[in-house]
Amino acid sequence: MDRDLLRQCLTHHGESLFNTLQCEQTENPDFQAVASDLAKATYERRGPGEGCSLVEQFIARKADILFCPTWRNAVPREDELEDEEATEPYAIMPPAELFMEVPFEERRAMLYRDLERGDAVVGRINNIREYGFFLTLLCAAGGLRRDIEDLELSALCHIKEIPSTGSHDDPLSYYQIGDLIRGGVKDLDRYQEKITVSLLPASLCPRFAHIKLGVVAREELPKHYSRGLRVANDTRETYERILRSCHGYHNPSVVEYLLGRAGVSDHRPPSLMRGLQSKHFHEEDFATVIRKKQSASWALKCVRSGVDLFKHGRHVEAMNEYNKALEIDTNNVEALVARGALYANKGGMMKAISDFELGLETCPDHRNAKKYLCQTLVERGKQLQGQEKFVTAEGLYRRALSLDDSYPEAQAALRRITDTIQKSIRLREEATAKETEKAKSGKTSAQKLRKILKDEKRMKKKRKRSSSSSSSSSSSSSERPSLSPTSTTSSSRRRSKKRRRKRGGSERGSPRHRRRSSKDDGSGRRKRSEEEEEEEYPAPPNTSASFLYRQGFLGLGAGRGEGGEEGGEEDEEEVVVDDRRISQLYSLSAASEDEGSEPLGGDGEGREGRRGRSFSSHGKGGRRRRSRRGSSSESSAAREQGKARRRSGEGRGRSSEGRRRSSEEGRSSEEGRGRGRSREEGRSSEDGRGRSREDGRRRSREEGRRRSREEGRRRSRGRSSEEGRSRGRSREEGRSRGRSSEEGRSSEEGRGRSSEEGRGRSREEGRGRSREEGKRRSRGRSSEEGRSRGSSREDGRRRSTDEGRRRRKASPSSLESQRSRKSTVAAEQPPACRRSSSGSLGQPAAAPPLVPAAPPLAPPPPAAPRRTSLEGGRSQSRPGKGAELRGGEGPRAPPPSTSTSSSNGQGGVARPPQPAGGGAGKKGLPANLMDIFNKIAKFEKEKGAGPRK
Amino acid sequence: MEDPSSRTAHGGPPGQAARGGSYSGGPAAHGGPPGQAARGGSHSGGPAAHGGPPGQAARGGSHSGGPAAHGGPPGQAARGVSDSETDVTREIKTHFRVCRFIMESGVKLGMRSVPVATACELYHRFFECVSLRVYEPYLVAMSCVYLAGKVEEQHLRTRDILNVSHRYFHSGSAPLECDREFWELRDSVVQCELLILRQLDFHVSFRHPHKYLLHYLTSVKALVNRHAWTRTPVAETAWALLRDCYHGVMCIHHAPQHIAIATLYLALNSYGVEMPVGEREWWQVLCEDVTKEGINAVISDLLQLYDMEAKCV
Repeated sequence: MDRDLLRQCLTHHGESLFNTLQCEQTENPDFQAVASDLAKATYERRGPGEGCSLVEQFIARKADILFCPTWRNAVPREDELEDEEATEPYAIMPPAELFMEVPFEERRAMLYRDLERGDAVVGRINNIREYGFFLTLLCAAGGLRRDIEDLELSALCHIKEIPSTGSHDDPLSYYQIGDLIRGGVKDLDRYQEKITVSLLPASLCPRFAHIKLGVVAREELPKHYSRGLRVANDTRETYERILRSCHGYHNPSVVEYLLGRAGVSDHRPPSLMRGLQSKHFHEEDFATVIRKKQSASWALKCVRSGVDLFKHGRHVEAMNEYNKALEIDTNNVEALVARGALYANKGGMMKAISDFELGLETCPDHRNAKKYLCQTLVERGKQLQGQEKFVTAEGLYRRALSLDDSYPEAQAALRRITDTIQKSIRLREEATAKETEKAKSGKTSAQKLRKILKDEKRMKKKRKRSSSSSSSSSSSSSERPSLSPTSTTSSSRRRSKKRRRKRGGSERGSPRHRRRSSKDDGSGRRKRSEEEEEEEYPAPPNTSASFLYRQGFLGLGAGRGEGGEEGGEEDEEEVVVDDRRISQLYSLSAASEDEGSEPLGGDGEGREGRRGRSFSSHGKGGRRRRSRRGSSSESSAAREQGKARRRSGEGRGRSSEGRRRSSEEGRSSEEGRGRGRSREEGRSSEDGRGRSREDGRRRSREEGRRRSREEGRRRSRGRSSEEGRSRGRSREEGRSRGRSSEEGRSSEEGRGRSSEEGRGRSREEGRGRSREEGKRRSRGRSSEEGRSRGSSREDGRRRSTDEGRRRRKASPSSLESQRSRKSTVAAEQPPACRRSSSGSLGQPAAAPPLVPAAPPLAPPPPAAPRRTSLEGGRSQSRPGKGAELRGGEGPRAPPPSTSTSSSNGQGGVARPPQPAGGGAGKKGLPANLMDIFNKIAKFEKEKGAGPRK
Repeated sequence: MEDPSSRTAHGGPPGQAARGGSYSGGPAAHGGPPGQAARGGSHSGGPAAHGGPPGQAARGGSHSGGPAAHGGPPGQAARGVSDSETDVTREIKTHFRVCRFIMESGVKLGMRSVPVATACELYHRFFECVSLRVYEPYLVAMSCVYLAGKVEEQHLRTRDILNVSHRYFHSGSAPLECDREFWELRDSVVQCELLILRQLDFHVSFRHPHKYLLHYLTSVKALVNRHAWTRTPVAETAWALLRDCYHGVMCIHHAPQHIAIATLYLALNSYGVEMPVGEREWWQVLCEDVTKEGINAVISDLLQLYDMEAKCV
C-alpha cells in the first residue's frame, strides 16, 4: 500500500477513517504493515464533516485497491502543447480558478508553489533597464494553466538571458515596453517571490522544447488565456458554455485522446469492483483467443470432411473443403497437409510441395507433413529426372534428405542421380572430344555465306523491327560476327540468371547444387569450346533436324507447362553464350534423332506425324488432340499434333529437354541474338519461341503452326495439288506465322495472306521446298553468322520461311521481291555447292562422335520401341496420322521421296552417319544421352561465355 | 433485502452452473419467491441453460413477435405473489449481474469504455420500459453489446459476442461449433437487436459522462500541484468509478455531468486531495446545476453498487 497516499487520505478524513480502515482491512497484511506507522500520527478531520461515513466505509473497503501501488499504473503523456494549441483535439478550457474566484493571496501562493523552473510564461515588458527588462506575467504558456494575469507577478529577464542576434547592437534595443514576451522560467525564489525569466531555449524544460521564445503576437497567446479573457469580460460565460463552444469538445475521439493523455488504459480498464479486476480476466477468455481456437476447430472439421470426401474419391469436393478450411484458418497445418496430399495425388507436385513446406513452416514437427513432403520431393525429383533436369532433381532429393536423412528412397535416388550426372558428363566429354576432330573445310565459303545471310537479315530487321536492341545486335553481329553474339547472349544470360534467382524460391538448395555442378564442369567445357572455336562448322544437318528443334520447343513448352519453373530456370541458366557451338552438337543429336525416326515414317512427314501422334497419347495432349482431330483443316490437326507433342514433351522429358535446349540455342543464334534477348526481356512480340519461355501456351500454338507448316511442306510434296494447297496453306501459315512472330505481326494477317498465296504457291512450294530444304540444310551447315549447326538448321528453316515470306511479298513490293529473290538465290546457291562439298564432310564428322556403331538410317522398327521407352508413347497414336499422311501423300509420292531423299540425299553422304549417331543416341546409348547432349550444350555455353568475357 | 437461496444459486464461485442458471433461469430466479430460486438453479444444469436453441429460440421468437409478447407469459403468473420490495431488489441484482456480464464481455471483446457504457445504457433503458420477466436479460445484453458496437463505431462480430458469452456462461468450455445452434443463437441476438431498437424508438445514442469527466480532470489537474497530482491516481479512480456506475440504473437517472463530477469528487475525496477554495467550489464551476446533494446522491447510488457486488457475486 502506498503509505504516503494513505497518510494524505487519513489527513483529509481524520481518525474515523483510520478506525474503519482497521476494521475493514484487518486481513490485509499490507495494511497491517503500514498501520502502526499511520497510527502514530493523529488526524484531525479537515474535510467536510457529516455524511461521509459511507464514503469512509467505501475508502476503507476499497483501500487495498485504491492505495495499491499498481493501481496508479497510468503514465500521463507529456503535454503536446504545440499540437494542441493548433488543432485543439479536446476543449482547452480557461483555468478553473477563474470561475471559482479563488482569492488573490491563495492564487498567488499557489502559483509560487506550483510554478517551476522550465515552465514557459508570457509577460508584457513594463520596464527596460541596462541589465535587462522586467515582465508583468500574463499567463503561463506551458506546464501550468493558471490565471495569473491579475497576480501582479513581475519577472526579470536578465540581459545575459537574451540571445544576441550576432550584431554588436545592444540586444535590448530590440525590445520595447509593451512587447509581449514568451520566456522560460529560469529561476524561482519562492520565499522572496522573485521570478527570473530567460529567452534562451535551454531554460525550458525539454518537453517544451518546441516552444519558441521571444516576442509573440497577441494572436499567439495561449488559448486558455484568450478564453479566460472572455470569461473575465463576460460574467454570463460559464464553464459549461465555453466547453460546449469548443471544437475540441465535439471531437468524436476526444475520449480516446484525453484518456491516452491521462494515461488510463481502456483495454485493461480500471475498476473498483472486485469481480472486474484485470487479474480475473484470463487471456483464453478473450474474443480473439476464442476465435482463433474456434477457427482452428472449424477448419479441422472441414479438413475431416474433406478427407472423407477424398476417401470416397470426390476430389473436387475434398479440395473445396480444404480450401474452405484454409479460408477459415490460414496456415492450418492439417488442411495444408491434406491439400498437399491431394495435390500430390493429382500430380501437382509443386503445389503439393509448397503446401507441405508451408505446413512445416507453421508446425515444424508435423510428422505427416514431413513424411509427405519427403515423398513428394522424391517423386518430383523423379519427374525432373525424367525431364533431364538432374540438378534440380538432385536439389529436391537433398531437400528430402535434409528433412529425413534416413529416407531410403531419397538416398537411392540421390545416388542414382549423381551417377547419372557424372556419366553424362563423361559422355559429353567424349562426344565433344570427337566433335573437335570435325572437318574444317569450307570455312571461307561458310563465312561468305554467313555474311550474306547476315546482311540479308540486317536488312530485314531494319525494315521490320522497331526494337532497337535487336537491330543493334544484328548490326553489330554483322560487323563482328564472332563477338557480338556472345556479348548479347551473355548479357541475356545474366538477366535470365537474375530472374531465375528470383524464381528459385520454391525449391531450396537446388540452385546451389546446380551452380556447383556447373562449376565443376566448367573448366572442361571451356576447353572444349575453345577447341571448337577454331573448328569448322560441320555440314548442315539434314532438314529434318529442324524438326528436332521444333520438338525441343515443344518439349520446352511442355516443361514449362508442368514443371515450368524449374524447366525455365534451368533453361535460362543454360542458355548458352555461344550458341553456335553447342547447337552444333545438338544438331548432331537432333539430326540423328530425326533420322532414326524417319525410316519408320518412310518420309519426313511420317516422322513428324508419328511423333506428334505418339506424343499426343500422353495425357491431356493426347486427349485434346483427339478431340480436335475431327477438325477438317489439316493445319489445325498439325497444330494439334504440335501441341500434343509439346505436351508430351513433358513426359518425354529427356529428349525434349535436350531439344529444348538445343532449340533455344538455335533460336538465339538464329535470331541474331537480339531475339533471344527479347525473350529475356519479356517481350512477347517477335519470336514465338522466345515468347514460349514466358508463355508456354502461346508458344505451343506457334510451334504447332511451325510444325504444321513443316509437315505441310513435307506432306505436300507427295500430295495432290489440292491437298498440297491446303497443306501449303498450312505451311504457308506456319511460315507466315513464323514471320509474323518475327515481325511481331499478328498471325491472323499472316494466315490470311498465306492461305491465298499458299494456294497458288503450293506448286511452287513443292519445288521450293526441296530447294528450301536443301538450302536450309546447306545454310544451316554453312551459315556464316556464327550460327551453330544446330541453330543453322533452325535457321535454315527459318530462312526458308523467310524466303517463303519474301516470295509472298514479291507481289506487294517488287523491290523486296527482288531482294528476296536474290537472297533466295544466294541462299540457294551455296547449298548446292556447299552441300556437295561440306555437307559430306561435316556430317560424317559430326556423326561419329555420337555413336559410330549405329548403322546409317537407323532401322525404324527398333527405333519405335526405343522411342516409346525414351520419349513416352510417341508412337502410340501414330497409325491414324500415318494413314492420313500417307493418304495425302499418295498422289504426291514422288516429291516426298525426292524431297526427303533429296534432302536426305543431299545429306545422303552425310546422313548415314548422323542417323547412326542419332539412332545410337536414342537407342544405343542410355536413355539419357540426349540429356547428356543437353548438358554438354549447357556446358558449352558456359564455357564459351567464359573465355569471351 | 437479500434472498438467501438466490445467493446460493449465484453467490458461489463464478462457476458454470451458477452462471448458466442466472442466464437461462433469468426471470425465474429473480421474479419468483425464494423457493423458486432452486428452480432456476436446476435449470442451469440443463443443456438449454445457456440459451440453447429451445429456450432461446422461443424467446427470440417472442421478441420478434413484438409487443404482443408483453402480456406476461402464462408460466410466470405464480411469481406475482411476492411482495414488490423483494421484486425490486431482485431486479436490481439481476441488472447488476447482467451489467457485470456486459462489462466483462466488453473487456474480453476489447471494447472501449464508451461502447460499454452505451451497451449498459441501452440495456437499462430497455428494461426501464419492459419487464424483466418478459425478456431474457442476457440475450438483451448481448444484443445491446452488439448494437452499442454499431452505435459507437466499434463494430463487433456476433461470432465474437457469442463466443465470449458462451464462455462466460460455461467457463472453460470449448468454443461453439459452427452448427445450427450457433446460427440460432446468432439469429436471436440479431432479432433482439431489432427489438431493442424498436423499444427505444431508435434513440440509441447517448451523452455519456466520459467526455465531461475527462475535461473536468484536465481542469482540476491544473488546480493541483503537478507532483501531487502524479502521485495520486485520481484519473484512474475516477475512471473506474465512472465505469462501475454503469452497473446500475443510476447511470441513466443522473445527468452525465453530475455523474462525472460525482465520480471525480469521490476520487479526489478518496485520496484527500485538497482543492483550492474560492467563492465557489470547483464542482460548482464545472456544472451550473450541480449541488452538493446531487453529488452525494450519485455517490451514495454508486456506493450501493459496490455493496451490491458483495451481495450478487
